[in-house]
Amino acid sequence: MIMNFYDVIKRAKEEGRRKLLEHEAFELMNSFGLPVPKFGLARSPDEAVTIASKIGFPIVLKIVSPDIIHKSDVGGVVLNLKDEDEVRKGFEQIMNNVKKNAPSAKIEGVLVQEMVPEGLEVIVGSTRDRIFGPVVMFGLGGIFVEILKDVSLKIAPVTEVDVDDMMGEIKSGRILVEGYRGMAPRDIKAIKEIVTKVSDIMIEVPEIKDIDLNPIMLYEENRGAKVADARVLLG
Amino acid sequence: MVDLYRLFNPRGIAIVGASREPNKIGSVILRNLIEAGYEGKIYPINPNAQEIMGLKAYPSISAVEGTVDVAVISVPAPKVPDVIEDAGKAGVKFAVVIASGFKEVGNVALEEEVVKRAKKYGMRVVGPNVFGYVYTPSKINTTFGPNDIIPGNVAFISQSGALGVALMGTASVEGLGISAIISIGNKADLDDSDFIEYLGDDPNTNLILIYMEGISEGQRFMEVASKVSLKKPIIIIKSGRSEAGARAAASHTGSLAGNYSLYKSAFRQSGILLAETIEQAFDWAKALAWNPLPKGDNVVIITNGGGAGVQATDALADYGITLRRISDTLAANLKQILPPFASLGNPIDLTGLANAEWYYQSISLALDDPNVDSLVVIYCRTGMTDPKEIAGAIKDALKSSKNRKPITVAMIGGEAEYEAMRELTREHIPTYPTPERASASMGAIYRYYYAKKYVEERLKELDKKKLTALERIR
Repeated sequence: MIMNFYDVIKRAKEEGRRKLLEHEAFELMNSFGLPVPKFGLARSPDEAVTIASKIGFPIVLKIVSPDIIHKSDVGGVVLNLKDEDEVRKGFEQIMNNVKKNAPSAKIEGVLVQEMVPEGLEVIVGSTRDRIFGPVVMFGLGGIFVEILKDVSLKIAPVTEVDVDDMMGEIKSGRILVEGYRGMAPRDIKAIKEIVTKVSDIMIEVPEIKDIDLNPIMLYEENRGAKVADARVLLG
Repeated sequence: MVDLYRLFNPRGIAIVGASREPNKIGSVILRNLIEAGYEGKIYPINPNAQEIMGLKAYPSISAVEGTVDVAVISVPAPKVPDVIEDAGKAGVKFAVVIASGFKEVGNVALEEEVVKRAKKYGMRVVGPNVFGYVYTPSKINTTFGPNDIIPGNVAFISQSGALGVALMGTASVEGLGISAIISIGNKADLDDSDFIEYLGDDPNTNLILIYMEGISEGQRFMEVASKVSLKKPIIIIKSGRSEAGARAAASHTGSLAGNYSLYKSAFRQSGILLAETIEQAFDWAKALAWNPLPKGDNVVIITNGGGAGVQATDALADYGITLRRISDTLAANLKQILPPFASLGNPIDLTGLANAEWYYQSISLALDDPNVDSLVVIYCRTGMTDPKEIAGAIKDALKSSKNRKPITVAMIGGEAEYEAMRELTREHIPTYPTPERASASMGAIYRYYYAKKYVEERLKELDKKKLTALERIR
């Protein structure tokens, strides 16, 4: 799927939104070749079923609304749907929940998404600095970032050599390269590609202020990675 | 690149604000310039004087008949724009604005006016709010700082005035030879990047030391610094560590970290060595300015004290350097000259009995061993040896060997060892009072050695990236 990411940004701006909707963020990432889950936006149960059977099961459904920030809190997320029937019911369930819990929210539709397999959680983020321009952050998810602040920063453009250095800079970098307690080493090539591409996006799309890919599921060597959640803020 | 040739090689310098009052800043600058032995023309500018310090004084720069390339302006801030105008008309190429009272106290408009007027004449501005500049190859000292500068190859750029002047003194005490000192102050026009870029090509400068508070154009700075650090080391002392630390602690994913960590990243990506203290910066500067680059990462420690050897080993490890065993050949050769109780590991422990001859022999053998890339030599005070003789042996061993390898020395003890350290420093053999500092300074050499490789590869990759981007457009 090749789409013009500028349409996404234009629409968000016209609608006065700073934050891209989840499927828009995925579309944007996808257009730059980042590994996002297979997804589609459904406006009816039938559409949801068609998209789901194209993607394959299991499936995740998420409400898409500019007015709903915490989707789970309003019952806007259903996980692990295994067949067409479950998808149809899931769609209706989400719509009912949202109608009840957030009656005034504007609904764009429901995101039908491939259920991303578990992997080692890593985080890639980027923001703009007044002096240096885009800055890209990389670290391992969970306590490594949240508690230990074990992250590495590079100024864009970020090259592969920079990513090598980032993995050396963070204390948890060895987990990726060497593995840990029976967990095999991770796909370093995949993470290099994601970090350098995030840097490319920030350089090519000045309208973006922040990117937060959290978490990214990073799999074993040669198995790639998948961006499980993408948050994009416009400036 | 901004051509600063005439700033550093001016045919004539005008000192605006020099007077017969010896303690005025303009007068101190004039005296320093005369005493430094500058061989071009010096023109004191003062409408109320005929002659100052034996030199003919002029009422204005435009009244001077010869060529004036540089005007050092030390008059009150409100009068500066008019002086700039006069200098511009006289064809001055560089205005060094000593005066303060501009942006640093909120007078933004006055500062902009100075730059605007200078631009009109194609004149470039250093400052305002600076203490002047030094360039030893041209025997220039237009500062109001000290005048006992040792000529050498280190260029020093300072954003701070008071600290900059103080560090001029420190450099002399530390025996650090200087090529240039530049006070950049408010950086209304010329900034760090301009000077780094020019000094990168200056054959009289082999290391650039910077005291920095902040920069405005990060990308340009990184581009310039990356290219220059491939040619010579850049060491920066960056202020504002703690404030940023607080910000970094408050930061989270997405909002990233504070300012200081960004500078740290930018420096690392540009091959710049970030020093945390002034002491560290000077220690590193000596080691890097006075040594060749190593060919590999095999560091050997030679010591007369076990404990000092361990301290040196630990300090090297902090810089990521692990010691390897010495080669069998070197061990066999050392065995010939050392007593059986000497320890032929790494560190090589000559024991407390070591005399000047043992030092001479073991250093010579290590320099000649192709497996040894660099040396940390340690002397601990003993009752039986004279540190002066040991220093002599170290000096002689380095002089007589045809192999130049990086070396740092520690002279540990009291007054006599301190004197020996000064003696070696005069010979440009980087010597320190503790094993940790000798090791850390060797560590800095390796930090640069790896930084250079990193930047080399990074720039190569960026070039490739640019090419593919171009091809995509085509």
